[in-house]
This record gives sequence, C-alpha cells and structure tokens, in this order.
Amino acid sequence: MDEKLINVTIDGRKIAVGRGTKIIDACKRVGITIPTLCYLEDISAYGSCGVCVVEVENSPRLVRSCMHIVTEGMVINTHTPRVLHARKVNMELLLANHPLLCTSCERNLNCELQALAHQLGVRESRFGRTKTKFEEIDRTSPSLVRDPNACILCNRCVEVCESMQTVSAISMIGRGLNTKVGTFLDGGLANSPCTNCGQCALVCPTGAIVERSAEDEVFAALSDPTLTVLVQTAPAIRVGLGEAMGLGEGALVTEQMVTSLRRLGFDRVFDTQFTADLTIMEEAHELIDRITHNKPLPMITSCSPGWIKFIETFYPEQVDHLSSCKSPQQMFGAVAKTYYAKRAGLDPRTVRVVSIMPCTAKKYEAGRSEMDGAFKWWKKEMDLSDEERFADVDWVLTTRELARMLERIGLDFSTLEGSDFDDPLGASTGGAVIFANSGGVMEAALRTAVETLTGTVLENVEFSDLRERAGIREAALTIGESTVRVAVANTLGNARVLLDQIKGGESPYAFIEVMTCPDGCIGGGGQPIPSTAEIRAKRIASIYEEDRHKPIRKSHENPSIKELYETFLTKPLSDVSHQLLHTEYTKGDAYRY
Amino acid sequence: MDERLRSIETIVASRRGEHGALLSILEDVQRTSDHNYLKAEELACVARALEIPLAQVYSVATFYAFFNLKPQGEHVITVCRGTACHTRGSKPLLDKVLAHLGVTLGDDGSATTDDYQFTVQTVACFGQCALAPVIAIDEVIHSKVSEDQLIELVRSLQQGGQE
Repeated sequence: MDEKLINVTIDGRKIAVGRGTKIIDACKRVGITIPTLCYLEDISAYGSCGVCVVEVENSPRLVRSCMHIVTEGMVINTHTPRVLHARKVNMELLLANHPLLCTSCERNLNCELQALAHQLGVRESRFGRTKTKFEEIDRTSPSLVRDPNACILCNRCVEVCESMQTVSAISMIGRGLNTKVGTFLDGGLANSPCTNCGQCALVCPTGAIVERSAEDEVFAALSDPTLTVLVQTAPAIRVGLGEAMGLGEGALVTEQMVTSLRRLGFDRVFDTQFTADLTIMEEAHELIDRITHNKPLPMITSCSPGWIKFIETFYPEQVDHLSSCKSPQQMFGAVAKTYYAKRAGLDPRTVRVVSIMPCTAKKYEAGRSEMDGAFKWWKKEMDLSDEERFADVDWVLTTRELARMLERIGLDFSTLEGSDFDDPLGASTGGAVIFANSGGVMEAALRTAVETLTGTVLENVEFSDLRERAGIREAALTIGESTVRVAVANTLGNARVLLDQIKGGESPYAFIEVMTCPDGCIGGGGQPIPSTAEIRAKRIASIYEEDRHKPIRKSHENPSIKELYETFLTKPLSDVSHQLLHTEYTKGDAYRY
Repeated sequence: MDERLRSIETIVASRRGEHGALLSILEDVQRTSDHNYLKAEELACVARALEIPLAQVYSVATFYAFFNLKPQGEHVITVCRGTACHTRGSKPLLDKVLAHLGVTLGDDGSATTDDYQFTVQTVACFGQCALAPVIAIDEVIHSKVSEDQLIELVRSLQQGGQE
C-alpha cells in the first residue's frame, strides 16, 4: 500500500486522503454524502445513474464522483448551481421511464429513487415516457419477484450477482431503449443458476427486485381457528427487526420480537435457535464420525440454502463434502411436526410452521421436494395418502415482511413489553445465537466438538480468529494430540475459492463453514434495507452481545435438547435423526436452462 | 444435433484464448448455422465450452444487431424507416412487401416467411436520405424505389429460387 496522502479541497475545506480514494468517498470524509443510485462502496462503480456529479476546477465537464479518484491539489465543489441542476435533470430523466406507482410498490417509503428525487428537488415530471413496451414481471422464482418496468438499469444487481456471488444469473440483455436486466433466454430466475440469495434485492434502489411475499397467506392462517400456527425466528431477526421498526441500526430486540409475534396471533412462539443447537449436536458428531472413519473431508456446513444451491449447481462433484444435516429452519419444521405435535397432542395436518428468516433463499429451501420429513414420519403411523403431503415448513417470511405485518396491525413496537419464547422449542444457548454471524456455526460447533473429543471443559468459548471480519478466515486448533485446521467463508465468491482448493486437492481443512451472504445471515437478502458494511457491523456486535449474556453458551448443554434426545431422538446420528434431521443433495448443472 | 454441437466445440477450441473470443465464436457459429441464427442450445454449448455464464453470453448475443436469435430468410429485405424515407412513402413500401409475402412484423420488428426464403426488417436510417425511399436487398442498396419496382425485385428473387 502506498501510504502517500493526496491533498484536495472540497467545498473550500482542505483534506488529505489516501491515494486511490474516489471523489465520492473523499466527500464523505468532510461530511458530504453525494447522492448516487448505482455506486456500491467496495463492490462496484458503474457510473450509470449520473446523479453523483460534482464540479472539479479546470475540468470542463462535470465529473461522476464515483468513477474518478482524487489527484493532488484537486479542487472539488459539490453543490454549485450547475451541479445541483445537472443532478436534478439526470434524476428527472431516470424518472421519465419509471412507473410512478409508488403507492402500490413494496419499496414505497423505503426507496432510494423516491427519496433522492425528493432530496434533489424534483417536484414535477417534465419528460415524457419513451419506453412503450410493458415488460413481463418475472414471477418464476420461489424467493424473488423481478419487475423490469421499475428498473433504472443501475447494474447493481448484475454486479453483486457477478462479482460478489460469482453466479451471474442475470445480465443486461438487449440494447438501447429495450435494454433490461434478465436471465438467459429471458426464462426467469427459476430457470437460471440463481441461488435465491436476494443480495440483488438488498442493493436495488427501486422496487424492481423484491421478495416473493407470503404475508397474506400467513394472515389467513393466523385467523383460521382450525389451525395451530407455530412460528420460529432465526437468530439474525433479533438484530434486524428493530432496525426495520425504527429502533436504530443493529438494535437487539429479542424479547419485544417475541411479544410482537404473540400479538400477531401465533399460537406458539418458538426459536430457530433451538434447532441451531440441535444442528450443532448432529453436525459435531458427523464431523467426528467423518474424521474417525476416513470419510470425505473437509466437511462443509449446510445451513445456508443459497450456498446449497450454489454447490449443487456449480460444483456438483463436491456435494459429498456437504454435511448431511438439514438447516436449523428445516430441522425445526421436522421436529415441530413430529416431536412437538405428538407431545402437545396435535394432529400434524393441522399444524402450520411459519419461519421468520433474514433470508430469501429460505423460501426456496422450504419448498424443496425432499423437505417433508415429518409427513414421511407420520405417513405409516397415520396411514396418510400422498395427496395429504405437507411440508415441514409452510411459509417463510423475511425480516422485512414481518416488519410490514406488524405495521399493518398498527402495533406500537417501541413501547412493547418483552416476553420469553415458549417451551420447549424456544430454549437455546449462546452457540445458537452466533449462527447469525459468519464464523458463528463454526465457533458453536467447535465449542461442542472440542469438549466431546477431549472430555475437558473449554475455558474460553470465544474463538477470536473466527470473529475477524474477513471474507475468508482460518484457524488451527489443537485437539488432544492432533491439529485441526478449519476455515470460514462468507459470500459465494469466497466459497468458490475454498471449493477450488478442494478441487485441486490442496485443501488443508477438516471443516469449513460457508455462508452465502456478506458477514453471514445478519447480512442476508431478507434483512432491512439498507444493509451496508457499516450497518452490518452493528448487527454483528449485537449478536455477540446476546451470546455473552446467555447463561448457557454451548449447544450440548441445552436442557431442552438433552430432553429431545432422551425422549425422542435417542442419540445424535440415530435412525430417527437420519430420518428427520438429515438430507441428501442433488447434482445440478450451471449450463442447464 | 450432436454433430453440430461437436462442430461448435471445434470452433470454440480454434479461438480459445483470443481476445474477444466470444464475439468471433458467435459469429462463426451463426455463419455455419442453417438459416443464419443462434439456437439456444448452441449458445449454451458456447457458454459451457468457454466457461462463461449463460446470462453473459445471452447479453452479448442480444446486444449486437448482427446476431439473430430467430431463423432468417435466404434473402433479407431491409426497408429504411428514417424521416426522409418516411415522407417519400417507405411505410406503404413496407406494407406492400409484407402483404406480398404474407407476413407481419413481430415484436422484434422483423418478419420471416415460413419457407425461410425472405426476412423483412426495418432500419432507422441508411444515411442515404437524398435517395429516399431506400431499401436494401441482401446488402445491395436500391434507391428511389417505387412499390412496383420493389415487388418486381422480390418476384425475380422468388422466381430465381424456383429454378
């Protein structure tokens, strides 16, 4: 790194910034946020929207501040009349072809285009529409809905899909006035390698990509007296929901969240963290089994459904490395509709499981055909026909959808009194909380695996190497007499690096954790928008704080999990476990369409 | 088709590593195809052989006007729809030739006869406004064309095709 600083003057203020700094980022340093609709710090600069222009002395033209780096002595003016006029005109041009149907748009009041139009002083639409064709809405995906008509062609979604996730399910197709974002042959996301991660929806400045909503279905189920509706909440919701309800970035709202779900009308409020602890039990024992019986290593975690679709699609020859454990969401559905239904004396056909997830891919995961372990389990006992098949998880709501439902019933979230999860599927440990952060599943698994293997008590349960904020991290542990190397990756681009190592026979690791989204589930595609690196840092901190305050921090010490094994599953990797908690993978093809 | 896919793999192998290989490869694939267009399975074959995502190959194939994603006629008739040509009657010209061939323009602004003998398409401007109305048949420009002349030109191609 060249440490030399560059001196610039921004709006009359002198400042020294690092070489290579973009003008837009330098402006931030003097407290000026330059408006933009296409720039994504650290991810992409495409220069398509033109609203980030500034005036640079001795430059005849206005300069797009996201595309230019500072030079020595540069004099930048960010709000001359010429700049303000140009930004406004560029915004008006973007709006010319944008359907001004804000009231019926999911992003209404949380839309960058809308907010910036207001901020830049647009009060009328002077330019007529030039696009005549109505583009078909892509509703093929179980997770996402794309409306090309609302798109301003900023390229952010294409960029995150290509460079962050290395999936490239979408690209700019056509040219000129007919340009749009689309998939191969325009066949829709479901017929593309899309992993359903939803990072595109997080960065979209308009309502052109949103999650496929299940709000109405859930409201209907909640008002049906013949149903028992159970809800499970993923770890990352407790640091996301408060944000969506206006309580500040990364606000930790576990107890208010539980009360709000009761107020919505759920019959039981349970925690995905319960089955996160269960996942650790199964996964840690699977790892020990793989190590001691010379089965394929490294073993890779399987909690993140975008990641599962990714490896199945792009590295089908490596699916044997995946842990056979279902994700905590799916373990919950299977356990709720067997163990809990039986215990509570409920007919499993009248039980509905709703998941609140920080994730759009969870919608896809719940709909996978093999995710009906409870149905298969009851089938013999109750003599059920195939037409009576029910899924383990019925509906998945993102953090954003839950927030909208709470707004719809007019619940005053900020003054809500807290309450606790219901028993027994509501009990969890610190190991389960940290599933929300990249590195957390690994850390929780190690807390259990190390104690199980060595028979000793871990003094320090916090593995600091795994908490470093990097796309790929690694750690070496001494367990007994052997050293075990482990790695953690977040984003699919980083996962690809570790998979290529395995492919080349060069992977030094025994265990790898992969999360699809940046920083893990707290940065998931279903989380509140915006979800910048700065905001994610606050969510990460809140998760670790919740872990520190949990009376029990190791999954194998969860008393409700012990009871589950004693009364139902018998032991990790038992026959019942395999039937309900483990799964198989499909070999896909990235070039199938 | 297997043979065709193998020949595409040979085309890809011959250009692998070249700068901008994708464009030249798609050009070769289209040139060697029946009816001068790129089929979905051919695009997928190129993508797989070059290890380029499907969506990116499709992006390139839809960006360049040169590439066709639908079968093209043996003869291509291009009618200029620029302002000058319009004022000198290019719309009736277009309608006349479409009616003569019994086709209508599709969403993409072109039409091909069922026997793949003719494709009719339009262009925004040839830059030959002084000679309006202008049409091109198989890349040969014809200027100050009347409806009768156009139909005569098409007829002669139709008869030539029958010989």
